[in-house]
Amino acid sequence: MTYLPENADFETDPDILLPVEGLAASRRSFLRLAGFGVAAGVLAGCSRAPERRVVTYLEAPDGIVAGRGYRMATTCAGCTASCGVLARCRDGRPIKLEGLPEHPISGGGLCAVGQAEILSLYDGERFDGPRHGGREASWKDADSAISFALSKARKVRLLTETVTSPSTRAVIAGFCDGLADARHTSYDPLSAAAILDAHEATHGRRLLPHYEFHEADVIASFDADFLGTWISPVEYARGYGMGRRPDDRKSMSRHWQFEARMSLTGGRADERLRLAPWEITPALMGLCDMLASKAGRSTPVTGQRTGAPRIDDLRRLADELWEARGRALVVCGSNDTATQTLVNLANHLLGSYGSTIDIARPSLQKRGSDRALAALKRELDAGEVDVLIVAGVNPVYDRGFAGGVGESIAKAKLIVSITGLKNETSSVAHWTCPEPHALETWDDAEPRAGLLSLRQPTVPPLRSARTLRASLSKWSGGGANDRALVEAHWKQNVHPRAGDGVPFRRFFREALHDGFKAASPPPSGAAPFRMEGVQVPETAAAPAAGSMVVVLYPKVSMLDGRHAHNPWLQELADPVSRLAWESYAVLSPTVAGKLGVEKGDVVRLDPEGDAPALELPVHVQPGQHDDVVAVALGYGRDGTDRFADIGPDWWEGEATVAVGGRVGENAAPWLKTVGELTRTDTTVVKISATSVHRELASFQDYHSLEVPKHLAPHHGEVRDAVRTVELEAFRRDPNHAMYGGHHHPTGDLWPDDHVPEGNRWGMVVDLTACTGCSGCVVACQAENNIPVVGRDEVRRHREMSWMRIDRYDLGDGDDVQVSHQPMMCQHCDNAPCESVCPVLATMQSSDGLNQQVYNRCVGTRYCANTCPYKVRRFNWFEYQRHDQLQNLVLNPDVTTRSRGVMEKCSMCVQRIQEARIDARRRGVEVKDGDIKLACQDSCPTQAITFGDLNDPESEVSKKARSARAYRVLEETHVEPAVRYLAQVRNRS
Amino acid sequence: MRLSEVDTTIPTPREPTTAPAVEETGSAAVIPPLITGDKVAGDVTRDVCAPLERPATAMWWCVFIVALSALVVGVVSVGYQIATGIGTWGLNRTVGWAFDITNFVFWVGIGHAGTLISAVLLLFRQKWRTSINRSAEAMTIFAVICAGLYPVIHMGRPWLAFWVFPYPNERGPLWVNFRSALLWDVFAIGTYFTISLLFWYIGLIPDLATIRDRATGLKKKVMGWLALGWDGAARTWARYEVACVLLAALATPLVVSVHSVVSSDFATSTVPGWHTTVFPPYFVIGAIFSGFAMVLTLMLIARKVMNFEDYITKRHIQAMCKVIVFTGSIVGLAYLTELFVAWYSGSIYEQFAFLNRMAGPMAWSYWIMVACNVISPQLLWFKKVRDSIGAVFVLSLLVNVGMWFERFVIIVTSLTRDYLPSSWSGYSPTWIEVGSLVGGFGLFFTLFLLFCRTLPMIAMFEVKAVIRPKADPAPEESP
Repeated sequence: MTYLPENADFETDPDILLPVEGLAASRRSFLRLAGFGVAAGVLAGCSRAPERRVVTYLEAPDGIVAGRGYRMATTCAGCTASCGVLARCRDGRPIKLEGLPEHPISGGGLCAVGQAEILSLYDGERFDGPRHGGREASWKDADSAISFALSKARKVRLLTETVTSPSTRAVIAGFCDGLADARHTSYDPLSAAAILDAHEATHGRRLLPHYEFHEADVIASFDADFLGTWISPVEYARGYGMGRRPDDRKSMSRHWQFEARMSLTGGRADERLRLAPWEITPALMGLCDMLASKAGRSTPVTGQRTGAPRIDDLRRLADELWEARGRALVVCGSNDTATQTLVNLANHLLGSYGSTIDIARPSLQKRGSDRALAALKRELDAGEVDVLIVAGVNPVYDRGFAGGVGESIAKAKLIVSITGLKNETSSVAHWTCPEPHALETWDDAEPRAGLLSLRQPTVPPLRSARTLRASLSKWSGGGANDRALVEAHWKQNVHPRAGDGVPFRRFFREALHDGFKAASPPPSGAAPFRMEGVQVPETAAAPAAGSMVVVLYPKVSMLDGRHAHNPWLQELADPVSRLAWESYAVLSPTVAGKLGVEKGDVVRLDPEGDAPALELPVHVQPGQHDDVVAVALGYGRDGTDRFADIGPDWWEGEATVAVGGRVGENAAPWLKTVGELTRTDTTVVKISATSVHRELASFQDYHSLEVPKHLAPHHGEVRDAVRTVELEAFRRDPNHAMYGGHHHPTGDLWPDDHVPEGNRWGMVVDLTACTGCSGCVVACQAENNIPVVGRDEVRRHREMSWMRIDRYDLGDGDDVQVSHQPMMCQHCDNAPCESVCPVLATMQSSDGLNQQVYNRCVGTRYCANTCPYKVRRFNWFEYQRHDQLQNLVLNPDVTTRSRGVMEKCSMCVQRIQEARIDARRRGVEVKDGDIKLACQDSCPTQAITFGDLNDPESEVSKKARSARAYRVLEETHVEPAVRYLAQVRNRS
Repeated sequence: MRLSEVDTTIPTPREPTTAPAVEETGSAAVIPPLITGDKVAGDVTRDVCAPLERPATAMWWCVFIVALSALVVGVVSVGYQIATGIGTWGLNRTVGWAFDITNFVFWVGIGHAGTLISAVLLLFRQKWRTSINRSAEAMTIFAVICAGLYPVIHMGRPWLAFWVFPYPNERGPLWVNFRSALLWDVFAIGTYFTISLLFWYIGLIPDLATIRDRATGLKKKVMGWLALGWDGAARTWARYEVACVLLAALATPLVVSVHSVVSSDFATSTVPGWHTTVFPPYFVIGAIFSGFAMVLTLMLIARKVMNFEDYITKRHIQAMCKVIVFTGSIVGLAYLTELFVAWYSGSIYEQFAFLNRMAGPMAWSYWIMVACNVISPQLLWFKKVRDSIGAVFVLSLLVNVGMWFERFVIIVTSLTRDYLPSSWSGYSPTWIEVGSLVGGFGLFFTLFLLFCRTLPMIAMFEVKAVIRPKADPAPEESP
């Protein structure tokens, strides 16, 4: 693969991508063609109807060879974190996104959402051209109508989420300046406004600090799910992973988590303590008080420790933090400004600013202001806003609660919605100007001061769409060419700061090639910490008996609901609940027991005030606080009934969602505004059981390594699929920690009759590094053309994912530890599946892979039955791929499978072959690290290593020799080629 | 006198001349005769041929319509499943087999009684088998047909089922996998079906000749063709006997081998609860057990419906009951052995698999199995129970139910919870799957009912050898 230095000339040659004959060819014939790897021809339009329209490259664009892959560096737009990505392209279209290894934010990692972004590009429901009141319109009409309205308007308001693009910000500024009264308001649906406001109070500048998790030896997180969904999870997970390498002699970081629900982050914590949302503030007051007395400083919260919950644990935490001052970090997910000033105080006392927190080069990933939003609401309510342009956000949905801006949007006289897909806001808008997908447009981003990331089109525009920047520029009388706008901005603002004397053309081309440029940041203007800025928060009372507090949380897949139209994300098993296609009420086992409900039983949640009641099925989660019910945001989006016919259609099959229905229930109306800030954790509900049961689409039914007590054989109470060791014990005696001194390696009765002599591919998965983020699951789905099967099939345990993340809980009540275990085909040397297949459809390759031969498989499923890891997946139906456009995402190197055949992880054999062919072409050997599997490629914490076990110097061999290495179900003697490194916890 | 008018089926014993049967010497007063009603050879021919020569009774039609409807249900279910996908069954990523292979093993097991009765009992010179062996063999054939269908339809791509045969092809080195127990099944079932069919057909020839002699028109022609020109000559009989004994000797090992091979499907895999060496004998005895129960069920219906009370007498029923209680007890022992071995193995997965069977979420199926296969057959120790047609009928049905559940328990409960708790799942069948089960019974009974109307259900010439000669009571000579 080569990096393409600059984007091919899509703009002048728009025909190179889209199949011209249209998407009229049958799906089967398309798949067949794609499966034979002639997608090149398909895309050029010649394979389908060669005699009618032959489009070839008269002059091939530089770097593009038909059928050969290339990669283009760009920036993810799945959320505002703006991770660097490499788009793996083929024949003028991207087919897979991967982390950009050099990118300072993500360092090669990419989360599930980022991986799934590629599918949104090929979403057939994206708008094609502007719309006026639901009808199609021309850009000319739209521009003239909107320009006219703008020229007449007294008040123009622009509402966006955090705009990370500096060029867009510049255009916005120009747009606002050009009008009499125009203002730009931004908010973040998953708000971090309190952190910024708190820094304004304590450091004199409204900014989001940059958290350096890799520098921290002790991390205390109060309800911040920084490995899952908080602000910039890939970046944080990467830093967090760097600090947790038990094999190094350097000490492993200690991680404390105080939270009410079980989050992905909480499950990884060394010390996890349940803390109700209203207890966070007093706990932080207590902590600050303890730290202040250690520091001998007087603070506004001096003497406040008395009311703190969990005082003993806090004392231990304070001791540890103080011990590690300068290398400690306190983070908090609360959206209460006063509480966040306490966090700042704690970090200040610990000397974190300047070490684990950087405010000289702050993060720019969240800049939204809830207070500005409240001001906008007041203006809207007063009927003063003439033109409201809403871009990139969906306030009618995510701020559609009583007191939220969502209910006031319609009061604007003219609403212009800028969105690629129909949403709740565009439904009330007068004009909808579609926005292109990030992979088909020029754009830039500045996720952190001084880090400028570029976006470039990887495909000619699939839809007639225009960015916010282009539209605003057009409406303010400028040009609408995004490339020109971005380049102009870079020329004026970036090149002088980062150019180092390189001519701009070269500078820009380098930036395109690398995907980003570092520039000297402007001074952040942050002042030293001011004690006066610390506010003493009001402490909330616990809810009355019989009531519970709702914690509304973003899920790894759905976030705030912006990705609700992405079937990969809808079908991604939540790493904590292992549920998909559903929103549900998470209850602790105690509460569920008290209510007499089990998983799937529907409960009614009746909030105080006017918010609507919801009936939700229950998910019982150990580790959840007993006074808290957690409900995910992002569900109940309009238009999700598009998934009504996803998955197989058969007599007893159930639709994923009823026509006109929605996937899940919308919990956003339960958000609350407290002191102008949007709060997710203050709504009080009454909960009652109903008689309804809804079988949940669950990927995993049993979540413990302990077998049920009444079925447990003597000494067989616990299965050791995941080995967890404590750091202390591991350092003392690794072997004893791993095996309790009872490890007897088993010998073989027979000589090994199939020793791979050349390469012997193997994998090591580090369970200490794995956070369970599930990026690899979507990566595998994208790479290997794994179909989406729909809710009913998942419910019937027929998901197709080759890779899954098993979740096991250990313990109950307060102290629950969670282990995540990525599980895929183990490529056993003595594979039980191979000997049972009557037709030899699965066999051992000469380099140690367990191969599945799809076209030989007759589908007896014997192999799946006998697989101890249950990683084989059967095509129960011809899984529909309705959206012809979405089929463009298929990887032409991987066969699509028809019904009736078995499939499973192939260790990305196509990538192995590609590397081999490439090496052979160049006359060299395949080097260690040349081959990266899809799951490995984008892992933020590099938990997965792949390579040649026959090469003693390869990374995988080294890791396989680690004292932590073990093989799952070693005792069955199937000799898997996948090793796991035991999970180490740094518990005291 | 023309040849055709001679009764060409002069009673000639099919087996070598036997030792004097007990009942024909001294103890007639104690042991009731095999054939009651003072039949002579002519009566046998008349009675057995009667159902073939009169129009079907209303009773027959009723039963036939029920069976045919069940078959139609099966055809529709299987047709829909093949057209749509295996997903129309209740299987999942954890449970890859359920009703399909349960039915397969069940029907293969049913078949075993036929072979046992006709071959093994022939070699052991058990005279009581003569009245039931024909039907039992027919049952074997039909059961094997039913059994053979399930592995074909259970495939994801049944249209490629021929790939399991090692036929010469142009796919280079790609052939079948001789290490796979499923392939052994192909050979085992194929051999079994061939031998059973041949044995049954050879056994039919003298009776076909009788029908030919009594028939006219087309039927005479067809039967004459099927009877292969049987002339009843002494030389013909002599050769016939040799052929029968040879085939019996060939078929005998199959009684052991077929179900041993079928059990290898499970025993050679890694699934806890499958991976156990006791399976071959355990499966064989279970097969005989279930087969006899099915023979009993069929015979009890047939003797009533076809008026064969004189031919299938209480003595036959008694004998079969004894086989059932004997094999049922061995099956019970096998269950205990399994438990012991699981405990003794020290493997936590094995131990868990059995604890899970007995007390897990699907324990109900285990206890149905134990109740029907081990506990209820013990009632057959009592002569009173064995004498009661109704009780025996109910017990035989229970054994059928129990043996179906035995396979279900082994297959499904073992699969639902194996090594990694993350993959544990449940299982519940779909209606399509139930339809395929119903269809199996429909096919079996449809074939059996057609058999009753077209071929002699009782081996006339063999029965003639065991009826007590009225005119000449001289005892047969001793060997």
